[in-house]
Amino acid sequence: MHDSILTYAKSRYLWISIVLCVVSIALYVWHDPAVAPNGGTWLGYTLGTIAALLIVWLMLFGIRKRSYATNMGTTRGWLSAHIYLGTSLILITLLHCGFQFGWNLHTFALVLMLIVIFSGFFGVYAYLRYPTLMTRNRESATRDAMLEEIGEIDQNALNLADGIAPEIHAVVLRSIENTKLGGGVMTQLRARDGSDIAIAKIRSAMEQRETQLGAAPAPMQAGQTMLLMVDFLAGRADDKQAEALRKLIDMLSRKRSLATRVARDIQYQAIMEIWLYIHVPLSVTLLAALIGHIVSVFFYW
Amino acid sequence: MRWLIRRVLKKGKGSISYEDDIHFGEILTIGRAADQAIFLPDLRAALNHASVTALGNGQYRVESLIVAGIRVNGELTYTKAVGTGAVIELGSTRLTLLDARGEFDAAVEVSTIDKSEQAAIRSSRSKPTSLDQTWIAKRWPSWTGFILVLALGLILPASTHVIPGFNTVLRYSPLPSTSFWNPGEVDAAHRFFATDCKRCHQHAFLMVRDNACTSCHVKTKAHADPARFNIPELGDARCGTCHQDHNGERGMVSRKQSLCSDCHSDLKSRTAGASQIADISDFGKAHPEFHINLPGWAANGEFMPKSMTWTASLKENSGLKFNHEKHLKADGLNTPNGRKTLTCANCHLPDAAGAAMQPIAFESMCHECHQLGFDTLAPGREVPHADVAAVTYTLDEFYARRGLEGGYADARAPTIVQERRRPGSPPMSRQEQVEALSWARDRAREAARTLFTGKACVTCHSISPPSGESDWNVAPVRVSGIWYADARFSHARHETMKCADCHAGAERSQASNDLLIPGIDNCRQCHAGAHASDKVASTCIACHAYHQSKTLTLDKPGAN
Repeated sequence: MHDSILTYAKSRYLWISIVLCVVSIALYVWHDPAVAPNGGTWLGYTLGTIAALLIVWLMLFGIRKRSYATNMGTTRGWLSAHIYLGTSLILITLLHCGFQFGWNLHTFALVLMLIVIFSGFFGVYAYLRYPTLMTRNRESATRDAMLEEIGEIDQNALNLADGIAPEIHAVVLRSIENTKLGGGVMTQLRARDGSDIAIAKIRSAMEQRETQLGAAPAPMQAGQTMLLMVDFLAGRADDKQAEALRKLIDMLSRKRSLATRVARDIQYQAIMEIWLYIHVPLSVTLLAALIGHIVSVFFYW
Repeated sequence: MRWLIRRVLKKGKGSISYEDDIHFGEILTIGRAADQAIFLPDLRAALNHASVTALGNGQYRVESLIVAGIRVNGELTYTKAVGTGAVIELGSTRLTLLDARGEFDAAVEVSTIDKSEQAAIRSSRSKPTSLDQTWIAKRWPSWTGFILVLALGLILPASTHVIPGFNTVLRYSPLPSTSFWNPGEVDAAHRFFATDCKRCHQHAFLMVRDNACTSCHVKTKAHADPARFNIPELGDARCGTCHQDHNGERGMVSRKQSLCSDCHSDLKSRTAGASQIADISDFGKAHPEFHINLPGWAANGEFMPKSMTWTASLKENSGLKFNHEKHLKADGLNTPNGRKTLTCANCHLPDAAGAAMQPIAFESMCHECHQLGFDTLAPGREVPHADVAAVTYTLDEFYARRGLEGGYADARAPTIVQERRRPGSPPMSRQEQVEALSWARDRAREAARTLFTGKACVTCHSISPPSGESDWNVAPVRVSGIWYADARFSHARHETMKCADCHAGAERSQASNDLLIPGIDNCRQCHAGAHASDKVASTCIACHAYHQSKTLTLDKPGAN
């Protein structure tokens, strides 16, 4: 049985985290300080020290991840511990502050930490969900192979289109120019491939025309000129041309589906990475806030 | 119009040759069709793909003739006006529009783009396909966040500690000041200097010193002398051990039972016998019987209350004779002003603070019934209260005047006193004066004896007759006033109770030495310790104070 990062080593780190949390809660309930629970009681200092060490250790994961030649446990083990101990940090820090919040550096550090942890939760979700979807989407091809196939289709389509009519050749040229895979952050995340939507419309117009011969043309909005052109062409084309046209459309559809899959591949990869752009910079910022928190607390002890 | 078409031919090893051609006409057509001015045998070009119109003076207009458009200077366009040096790319061909020279009106250079360059152009034009190719990044935001937070959150506020006045500047700027460090609102009483951290936090990285507190809180009493009682908790205690600020409206006074019980549950052994205070840890479960202050007087007559452990049979000696039962008769009393029913509140009135009761005052509480008249022939005249000397003066003066004036209608008095002297009658002889004053003196003494021993003073007071030099003596009267010397009790906080709830039996008490002050069992009916579940949870400082030393203060420990 393949065990995920969550069930690694029989969920060893889950149990460690649960024990840590239960012990912390028990101490918090048992502890009866003279003032309201806060970070300045002995339990507050203890939980604060544990939390600070945990944060530093959790950040070391970023270094451990990069060091391939190490005998300090597997990366999977570290990740499993990273997730569970990171989650337990929410409870430990809340108990540390005694649920006291304010508009200050201390709560700022807490908020930063919570954002980092919850972005990490998204990362866990992404790592559990998207690799499967990614594999399924690629259909055992690689992205490069798909891109190569798109390039070949472009070549063949130009060849074919040239044999039909100059107008069709121009349409195909435009389709090639318009196929833009990838793009900015939002484009990648939204899986916009930018390939010519008109191709699908050409196909549906062709089919419609065949089934509803003599019927009034359907109302057209986008790609009007092209549809008219296809309509006209299909009307006057001989069998050979119509056959080539159909083949061209099939080819462009195949390209479109490939482009969509590449766009989705880019999207999945982007989703799996985007949270790191919050998780990593904010965790480094958190380190500064943590230093500020600790130093300021003892500065004005 | 003459166009110069210069073709660049590459012949391997970097050597180049040019082949010039002339085209007539304003428009230069570009495409894959055979009739084009520039013929491009490339599938990526349409038959009639584009045209370039020479506008003269080195100006050209590039137009796309198909929907796919044409790439001019790297940008896909349909129509664009350009100058010389503009580059048109189409498939593997590059057209560069040149400045016309000599007999030509326009010029274009045609060169091929080799495969490696095409690949480079394609990759440079391709959009990013992963996030690390986009503008977002991890490294610089990390550094920015780290430095920004460290600078604004730590260094800037910390610098106010060494730069005088800088915190005030920061506080009126949008930048974070030390208030960004403030973990919680300071205590209400400390807010007037709350913006000045250094008032309490005098030294960086050192806990708040006690002298930061005692500089304002002068004369705060200490708890006990650490030199006498060797308890580490007592000697090491800082003000901040119990009083932590920045808890906002929760305040700074700890009401925890453990604050006291930690030491007092086992004080004798903790102090190695230096303290003999009984073990106390919980009001409901482990608290000794109260100690009551009973009236007492030192040998020199000075009031000196005696502290006694409360017992049910304890008697107090206030020096007063008073029968509560007689005064609290349910059917009332006959008074000069009619029939009246007395209640506790007729005599026991709370003081201004509502905590204790005002002392009983004869004039306002007793006098209405207990009048101090001494002569039936002069019912309006009374002797003053509480001043033995003034009583005898009053009587002497009263009867001397009666004797000398005459007209005193008492059959027992001499004739000269009984006779009323008329205006114009001869003055009293020396003999008559002596006789009248002698009567007056005797009469005054008799009246005094009657007052002190018969009908007035002795009703409430213990009287001893004059002997030798001394006058009548009235035993001192005094209740202790504060019954619980080491605890605070407030009547005001018990207003919802009836008097008899605590002072049971007062209405049946016939003797003034009945102690009507309750013991601990009475309080325990309602109060229990901190962990009480069905009673008022009362910790030690509900009744006791920590800063209660009678000799030590915190600002100068050990000094009086």
